Amino acid sequence: MSKQYYVESKPAAGGVISGNGMKADAKVAYVDDKPYEVKEGETILSLIRRHFGKGAVPTLCDAPNLEPFGSCRVCSVDVALSKGGPVKTMASCHTPVIPGSFIYPESDRVQKLRKNIIELVLTDHPLDCLTCEVNNNCELQEVAARVGIRDVRYPEGKTHLDKKKDLSHAYMTSDFSKCINCFRCVRACDEVQGQFVLSMGGRGFDSHIIKGMEVNFKDSDCVSCGACAQACPTSAISDIFESKSIQVDEKVRTVCTYCGVGCNLEVAVKGGKIKSIQAPYEAETNQGHTCLKGRFAFAFYNHKDRLRTPLIKKNGEFVEATWEEAYDHIATKLTEIKNKYGGDAIAGISSSRGTNEENYLMQKFIRAVMGTNNIDCCARVCHSPTAIGMQRSFGTGAATNSIKDIKLTDCILVIGANPTDGHPVTGAKLKQFAISGKTSIVIDPRRTELAKYATYHLQLRPGTNMAIMNMMLYYIISEGLEDKNFIEKRTEGYEEFKQEILGQNIDELEAICGVDKNLVREAAIAYAKAPNAMEFHGLGVTEHSQGTHTIMMISSLAMITGNVGRPGVGVNPLRGQNNVQGSADMGCQPYQGAGYFEVSDPVYHKKYEEFYNAKLPNYNGLKIPQMYEAALNDKLKAMWVIGEDMAQTDPNTHHVVNALSKLELFVVQELFMTETAKLATVILPASSFLEKSGTFTNGERRIQRVNAVVAPIEGTKSDGQVMVDIMNRMGYKQPELYDPEWVLEEISQIVPFFEGVKWDELGGDGKQWPVNKEGKGTDILHTETFKRGKGKFIHNNYKKSKELVENEKQYPYIITTNRELEHYNCGAMTRRTNNVLIVTDDVLMINPVDAAKHQIVDGDMVCVESPRGKVDVKAKITDEVKPGILSSTFHFPEVMMNNITSSVSDSEAMCPEYKVVACNIRKSKGEYKKPKATV
Amino acid sequence: MIKFSEEKLNKVKEVMARYPEGKQKSALIPVLHMAQDEFGGWLDTPVMDYVAELLNILPIEVYEVATFYTMFNMKPVGKHLLEVCRTGPCMVNGCDDIIDHIKQKLGISEGETTPDGLFTLKPAECLGACGYAPMMQLGKTYREHLTKEKVDKLIDELRAQAKN
Ligand code: SF4
Ligand code: SF4
Ligand code: SF4
Ligand code: FES
Repeated sequence: MSKQYYVESKPAAGGVISGNGMKADAKVAYVDDKPYEVKEGETILSLIRRHFGKGAVPTLCDAPNLEPFGSCRVCSVDVALSKGGPVKTMASCHTPVIPGSFIYPESDRVQKLRKNIIELVLTDHPLDCLTCEVNNNCELQEVAARVGIRDVRYPEGKTHLDKKKDLSHAYMTSDFSKCINCFRCVRACDEVQGQFVLSMGGRGFDSHIIKGMEVNFKDSDCVSCGACAQACPTSAISDIFESKSIQVDEKVRTVCTYCGVGCNLEVAVKGGKIKSIQAPYEAETNQGHTCLKGRFAFAFYNHKDRLRTPLIKKNGEFVEATWEEAYDHIATKLTEIKNKYGGDAIAGISSSRGTNEENYLMQKFIRAVMGTNNIDCCARVCHSPTAIGMQRSFGTGAATNSIKDIKLTDCILVIGANPTDGHPVTGAKLKQFAISGKTSIVIDPRRTELAKYATYHLQLRPGTNMAIMNMMLYYIISEGLEDKNFIEKRTEGYEEFKQEILGQNIDELEAICGVDKNLVREAAIAYAKAPNAMEFHGLGVTEHSQGTHTIMMISSLAMITGNVGRPGVGVNPLRGQNNVQGSADMGCQPYQGAGYFEVSDPVYHKKYEEFYNAKLPNYNGLKIPQMYEAALNDKLKAMWVIGEDMAQTDPNTHHVVNALSKLELFVVQELFMTETAKLATVILPASSFLEKSGTFTNGERRIQRVNAVVAPIEGTKSDGQVMVDIMNRMGYKQPELYDPEWVLEEISQIVPFFEGVKWDELGGDGKQWPVNKEGKGTDILHTETFKRGKGKFIHNNYKKSKELVENEKQYPYIITTNRELEHYNCGAMTRRTNNVLIVTDDVLMINPVDAAKHQIVDGDMVCVESPRGKVDVKAKITDEVKPGILSSTFHFPEVMMNNITSSVSDSEAMCPEYKVVACNIRKSKGEYKKPKATV
Repeated sequence: MIKFSEEKLNKVKEVMARYPEGKQKSALIPVLHMAQDEFGGWLDTPVMDYVAELLNILPIEVYEVATFYTMFNMKPVGKHLLEVCRTGPCMVNGCDDIIDHIKQKLGISEGETTPDGLFTLKPAECLGACGYAPMMQLGKTYREHLTKEKVDKLIDELRAQAKN
């Protein structure tokens, strides 16, 4: 051996003897004739790297988040089955270790082989490193240096410099002259994203990566997740931000703010500006993956439209003000209103996009300083039924399991969720699960991407989840598939529940939901028979008049089959916004304070009063829809809203706008001049997540650290600082400077499941609550008993939505709202990024049959009319929806989809019914107007 | 609409049935040949997408195979495809001259088609007829021991045929 490249860890003390932390019966293999412990099923590469570090063996086609592939052979090592026995050269990355074998990672022969391989690779490479975007951060350069390339003995094969760069796409780029045909991008697209855009075309020197059939990124099926760019060892596939360039000052790890998956991001900063974003491979939530929102949609942060100074409305016009003036104005007004009408004339809406700390401070301000429980958050309009329903069935309204359990389960049941658009990184994992051929059941009115790969797709009519749930439970009971042991030991209320279910009229339910009962039966049996079955649901369950009821039925479905309390099972809401879980945990709801204690319970009322050292009301406050009513009835005079655009996203827009316009004081903390901000009397310019620190709690209860990447844009303040300032200004003393550390410390004293949470101890991956005193998190809930003791079966019958009962005669179509991967909710942020180049406007999905009936062709403007109003939107003709059903997004203010949605809401949680709107359609007379891109 | 005739479709099903359930992809190459024959002598993207649909595989799985094998044409070709072998034995026996001659005579370079849509020239690797070098494949037949004269005659004949 000529050179030792690696630092050797201590070898095992010879043979199978214990010591060095090795178990007595541990298996060993010999590396350079010294014994090392072998882990079950590991590859030779993993054995060597585990003991000697990453540099011990060079690799090229191997990547941390991909399956071993074995194509480049750079990782070759010599292996003998006995000492001195015949030696064979093996690719270490995909060869399992044979215990007792002798491995030589740096034999002369192996070194020669590696060098030769790299020389051959270089005959097919342009060698213009100095002008290459990844110069000095290129794995090919690294490996070439590592194996000692000095010259290339072979004649140049091809440089491929004639290959054109692909700059067609809003984010993705490619320059295939730099490609070394390692297949990493292809595997990333297949194994990580499951999009199957890329492959190798041609042969020999002409082998090259193809996107679809030789199209460019823009015209391909690429969803811009960036996985291929991150996987590519050279600059052959990259992005417009040159995310693999070493031209950065520092990289900061933080958490994405676009959805409840909570992907970890590694943000590169250069000269105080954000340059690019990649994803850390070791992050538990996303293992190096993201969607385009997390990775690419950050340009909004220093967009020229950002609000940079407080504004006060005077005579209908916004006038610039200093922070001092704005605070004075607000404090005076609030005191006046409070003295005149009482605290209940004031209300706050916190943001599920904000941090836990900011949400906590907001509810503290409203409760302790304003003296009212009128505090709510946008969870009201999405997952509040989940919280209430699961609390009633299980005792806790949070996901029972972790996303990593997808690897352990045998069956997934996805209800009313379109995860590949709404929760892309989890969606990709679910898609991989379905593609692998394991049992997957999708219940959705739309043939979503996941439904296309699913074993069963129950394509029900919108608003009939309860019918399907009753049917599934009926079949499970009548087929005798219930888990009697679990039901007896862990639940209550079963007998009654069973009688209700068995009394259902299945044929009637079949007619209601429009799904063949045999298909429902098969799916129910598949779910019940799976050793472990895991449920996921989204807003397609909650945004209904029977949202809470459906959640309780889903919980019953899990209990009846014993699918709670162990890995790979459970009920798992896919949380919409990044911190929906957190804003509820922190008490941003009118009936429960921080930690979910009822504000009307005398014990907890007292506890809160003592803790906040303030007088608090002992009755529930107003939920968001009630706030609008109260404002219209002159009962509510002031409102404070953090980062929510209700005027675009809440249903029945006219009603909302009228209510908000009546307020005496309407404070809006925002990044941009949104439709809601325009109605404000005072606007406070806020900082974005990239400019502040705190914690977000993702959909699997994981409390993760958000770290400020850049300083706040000049003139703006973080929501946390604003809360602290206003509390101080109004005489309720807080530390002057907002800092997540002290807020978190305070939270841990009042929220029991945050007990052991400390800012310094959260680390990269955070902790899943409940976190005990010793700081240990919890990945699975309800393992021994339910939070409420016994799980409770609660039955409800299907009830037709009031919206349909009242309106279906005149308005025979049902429209349901949905989201596009590329945009986030009202789009205030994503429309200020290149995402608008990819998805340019809202579309209305309409079945070919209906389109023909109204002579509508693809791209026509269609007028959609509901009892509340009408909108014009562009048609997309597709069989993803059934006849009679329409589906539309609501990302663009030009369309104002919520002009037509109803304010009917869930009977329990008052979550609005966005998913069922009766309407009528006709071809509109108006011309198609392209929304103005905001970039 | 791209669609096989009923008869061809049965043939496709027959080929697919040769392989175990779930392994329909194995039928890809024979089905691609049938598609190339049926739909104008080359594989346009919609044709390959149709094949993917028939075999229930992803379109990209078809593209990667089709671009790998030279016997699949990725662009439109003329009525007559002149596939001249240029591997060792044919080269030693003067295939380069033959190729040059064809280029001159037809006024096209390798991979191109004459403006009248009659001829495409496509160099090929070993066609397994080394004993008869230099040689080419024309449609389904081999033309062997080629000389410039033989090539001229062949081309003239084919042109004449086309006129009638
Ligand atoms: S960006 Fe994602 S979807 Fe697009 S080609 Fe790369 S891996 Fe595939
Ligand atoms: S584009 Fe990059 S990842 Fe893909 S094969 Fe080429 S070098 Fe490898
Ligand atoms: S999946 Fe969600 S958390 Fe992850 S990058 Fe996309 S939007 Fe952000
Ligand atoms: S890294 Fe093992 S073969 Fe490429």
